[in-house]
Amino acid sequence: MAPERAPSVARFIVAGAVAMGVGLVVSHLWITAELSQLGVERQQRRGVVTLGALTELAQRTGGDGEKLRAAAAAWQEGSPVDSLRVVRFTGLSLEASSDADDVGERKAPRRLQKEEKPLYDKGQRLRAAVETNRDEGKSRKDELELEPRPGGGWLVAGPLTEGADVVGLVELKTKAGPAAATPKLTVALGLGLAAVMVVALAAALFLKRSRWLVVALGTLAMSLAVLAHARYATGVFEAERTASDELISQAARAQAQRLVDLSARQGLEGSAPVPGAWDRDAFRHPRGALTPDGLVAPRGEGPWVSGRAVALLSVLTLGLFWLIGLGGAHWFARTAYENRVAYAYITPAMVGMLALVFFPFFYGIVLSFTDANLYNTNRSLGDIWVGLRNYTDILFDFHVTTRAADGGLLVNYANFYWTLLFTIIWTITNVTVGVTVGLSLALALNLKNLALRPVYRVLLILPWAVPNYITALIWKGMFHRQFGVINHLLVLLGGQARSWFDEPVSSFTTALLTNGWLSFPFMMVVSMGALQSIPDELYEAAEVDGASLWQQFRAITLPALRPALVPAVILSVVWTFNMFNIIYLVTGGEPGGATEILVTQAFKHAFERYRYGYAAAYSTVIFLILLVYGVFQNRVSRATEA
Amino acid sequence: MSRPGQSRWVRVVAHAFVGLMVLITLYPLLWVVSIAFSGNQSLAIVDLPPDATKLDRLRAIIPWPATWSSQNFVSVMSDQPFAKWMLNSALVAAGTTVVGVFLACTAAYAFSRLSFPGRRAGMLSFLISQMFPGTLMLIPLYIMLVQWLNLGSSRLGLILAYATTSIPFSVWMLKGYFDTIPKDLEEAALMEGASVGQIFWTVIIPLARPALAVTALFSFMSAWNEFILAATFMDQETMYTAPVGLRFFVGGFSQLWGYFAAGSIIVSLPVTVLFLFLQRFLVSGLTAGSVKG
Repeated sequence: MAPERAPSVARFIVAGAVAMGVGLVVSHLWITAELSQLGVERQQRRGVVTLGALTELAQRTGGDGEKLRAAAAAWQEGSPVDSLRVVRFTGLSLEASSDADDVGERKAPRRLQKEEKPLYDKGQRLRAAVETNRDEGKSRKDELELEPRPGGGWLVAGPLTEGADVVGLVELKTKAGPAAATPKLTVALGLGLAAVMVVALAAALFLKRSRWLVVALGTLAMSLAVLAHARYATGVFEAERTASDELISQAARAQAQRLVDLSARQGLEGSAPVPGAWDRDAFRHPRGALTPDGLVAPRGEGPWVSGRAVALLSVLTLGLFWLIGLGGAHWFARTAYENRVAYAYITPAMVGMLALVFFPFFYGIVLSFTDANLYNTNRSLGDIWVGLRNYTDILFDFHVTTRAADGGLLVNYANFYWTLLFTIIWTITNVTVGVTVGLSLALALNLKNLALRPVYRVLLILPWAVPNYITALIWKGMFHRQFGVINHLLVLLGGQARSWFDEPVSSFTTALLTNGWLSFPFMMVVSMGALQSIPDELYEAAEVDGASLWQQFRAITLPALRPALVPAVILSVVWTFNMFNIIYLVTGGEPGGATEILVTQAFKHAFERYRYGYAAAYSTVIFLILLVYGVFQNRVSRATEA
Repeated sequence: MSRPGQSRWVRVVAHAFVGLMVLITLYPLLWVVSIAFSGNQSLAIVDLPPDATKLDRLRAIIPWPATWSSQNFVSVMSDQPFAKWMLNSALVAAGTTVVGVFLACTAAYAFSRLSFPGRRAGMLSFLISQMFPGTLMLIPLYIMLVQWLNLGSSRLGLILAYATTSIPFSVWMLKGYFDTIPKDLEEAALMEGASVGQIFWTVIIPLARPALAVTALFSFMSAWNEFILAATFMDQETMYTAPVGLRFFVGGFSQLWGYFAAGSIIVSLPVTVLFLFLQRFLVSGLTAGSVKG
C-alpha cells in the first residue's frame, strides 16, 4: 500500500479531520442515545413507583367498593398522574376511574363495555404472565406493561393482587416529567478541532523530516481527544444517573408518606410501606437502586463507559487516520476507479453473496457462542453470550448409553456421538449400495450390442430426475404398516407384516432402500461415461494374452474407472452425509430420534426445540467435520491422480 | 467390457439383471400413477378383505387401479389450494432464475474476461461458500429474513435466499462457458470502439445463449424442487410452495394420498423431462476435469 509520492500536508489534515469527525460524531451520538434512553427509563421508573404506591393503596381498601373510589380520588390529588383506572375481573367491573371519558353515564363503578376489551385483555395478559413466571420459577414474561402517551408521559399498567391471585388491573397515566440533559456538541467540536490543529501543526513542521513522527503525534492527539470525550460523556451520564436515582427516591418516599397519611385519614390498615421495593423492573423485581426505605443505595458496579467500547472507537478513529494519512485510502480509491468496470460487473453478485451467504455464515458462527432461542432474538448478543458452553455440551457429553432399570443397555439417541456414528454408518452403507448397483448396471449396459440399451438407460435414470422429496414421500407410503405394498409383498412371500418405523434397524432399512433407489443412477451415469472411453483393443489384446474376465476387470476396467469414480464417490459422500430430505421425510428420526443424521438433528434443535444458539454450534461442528473431510479427500484424490 | 465374443448367457444374465433393476426403478413411480388415477385418497391400490388370499394380496401389489378416474387431478387443482401453491412455486422459481442468472452472468463475465485486484480471491470465495452446510445457513437466514426483515411467508424472501445461494454454481458454470468463447470477436469489437458494456450485451450474451439457457434451467429446477427453506419460511398455508404443500397432504395426521400422488405427477413431470434433457450438462459440470477421455 505504499503511496506513489510523498504524502502531503493537506492529506494529513484531511485524514485528521475525517477521523476526528467520524470518531467524535459517533461518540457524541452514542452518549446522546444513552442519555435519551436514561430519560425514558427515568419516566418509566417514576410511573412504576407511582403505580406501586397506588396498587398498595387499592389493596388496602380491599380492591373494590366506595372505599377504593374515595381513597383513589384523594390519592390522585397532588400525585403526578393525569388519571387512573382500577378493573376487577369478577363482574368485568371498572371499580374506579378518573379518566376524562368515564363521566356521566360511564362513571365508575360499571361493567366494562364491549369496546373496552383491550383493557380487559391487558389485565388477563398480566395475570397469565404472573402465573407463568410463578409456575416456571423464572422471569420470562413482563408483569408490567408500559406504553408511551402521545403528549409525553406513560401509560403504566400492573396486576391487582389478592394474596397470590391476580384479581384485576391497576392502570395510570403519568404526566410528562423532566427530560434528561443532552450532551454539548461544542465539547466534541472543540476537542476535534484541537486534535486536527495538532495534526496540521505537526505536518507543517515535521513532514519533511519524517512522516512517522507526524503519524505518531497525530495518533497521540486523537487518542487523547477520544479519551477526553469519553470522560466527558461518562461524567454527564453519571451525573444524570445519580439525578435519576435521587428523583425516584424522592418520588418513592413522598408516595410512602402519602400512603401512611391517607391510610390514617381513611381508616385503612396495612403494614408500613416499603418504598424502595416499588422501584421495580418489568418482572416486578426490585431494581436494587434504592434501599428498602427509599434512599439511594450505594452503587457497586464500575464505571458506565466500558473500556472495550472506547478502545473500539479509538481503533476506528486511528484506523481512519492511518488509512487516509498514509495513502491507503488513496490507493483504494485509485484501484477502484481504474477497475471500475470490472467492479461494477461483480458488485451486484458480490453484494448479494455478502448479505445472504457470507454474513449469515459468520452470524451463524457468532450465534453458536450464544444462548439464542425463540424468546430472546431481540436481545443483544452480549446479553446472551455463553462462550463455549454449547460446544462443551455437544462434544463433552459422552453419555451415549444408559443402564435401563432391568440392567440392559439403552442408547441415548439424542447424544451427539450416537448421531455421528449413525451418520457415518448411513453414509458408508449408502455410498456402497450406490456404487455397487450403479457400477454393476453400467457394466451390464456396456456389453456390446446389448439390445434396448437407450431405453434401459433412460428408465434407469428416472430416480435421479424425480425430485427427491417426492421420492421420499412415495417410499414412506410404500412402507406404511397397514396399506403399504412392501408389507403386502412380505406377506405374499410368506413373511410377517411389520411396523417399519418402530425399530432402529428396520427404520434405517427404509431410509437406506429409499436413498439407494435414489442415488444409484448418478454412479451409473458416471461409470458409463468412463467405461465408454476404454478402447476395445485393450480387451482384445488381453484376451489374446489369455487373461480371464476377472483379470481384465482388475487390470483394465478398474484403473480406467478410477479417475471418474473417485470424484463421484467424494461428491456422493458429501451429498449422503447431508441428505436431509430422505431422513426427515421418510423416517423423521423414528423411533425416538434413533435414525437422525447430523443435519436433521441440527434442524430439529433449531426449528422444533427453538434452540438457535445450540443448533448453530451443532451446525458449526458439522461444518468442521466436512472441512476436515474436504482437506483429507483433497490429499487422497491428489495421491490417486499422481 | 465391451468386447467381441461374449457368450450368449452373459447377455441373458445382463438382461435379467437390468430388467429386474428397471422393474424396481419403475415400481414406485407406477405405484404413484395408479394411486393418482384411482380416484380415491387411500394408500392401498385395492381394499383387502380380512381373510385375504394370496391372489388378493398379489392383486394389492400390482400397480393397476381398480377403476381409472381423473378425479384426483381435477379436485387437487380446483378444491385444494394446490393451484395456488403451484403458482407460488412458479413465481419463486421464475424470480430466482431471473435475479440469479442476471447477477451470475455479469460476475462470470468479469471473472472470465477482466483482470482486477481481488479476482482470484473473489472466485475462491464463491467456491468456498459451496462448502457452507445448509443447516448452518438456515438459522441465521431465518432470523435475518423472517425476524428482522419480516419476510416470512413471502415469495420475495425465498427468491432472495434462493437466488444468492444459486449464484456460485451459476457463476462457475457460465465462467467455464465464457472462457471457451474466442477473444477475436471481442477484440474486433474493441477495435471499432465498443465499450465493455456493449461487448458484453451485444457479443457475449448472444453467443452464450445456450449456456445461459442451461444455467437458467438449473436455477429454475433447484428453486422448484427446494423443500427445507420453503418449509421453514412459509408458515401460512396460502403461501406454501408446491413441495411444502405436497408434504402437507401426507405429513402429520393427514393421509390424502390421492391428492399427493396427483400433485406429485403434475409437479414432477416437467422437471423430470427437463432433467433427462439436461443431465449430460450436469454430469460434465460436476465431474469436470476428472473424466479425462
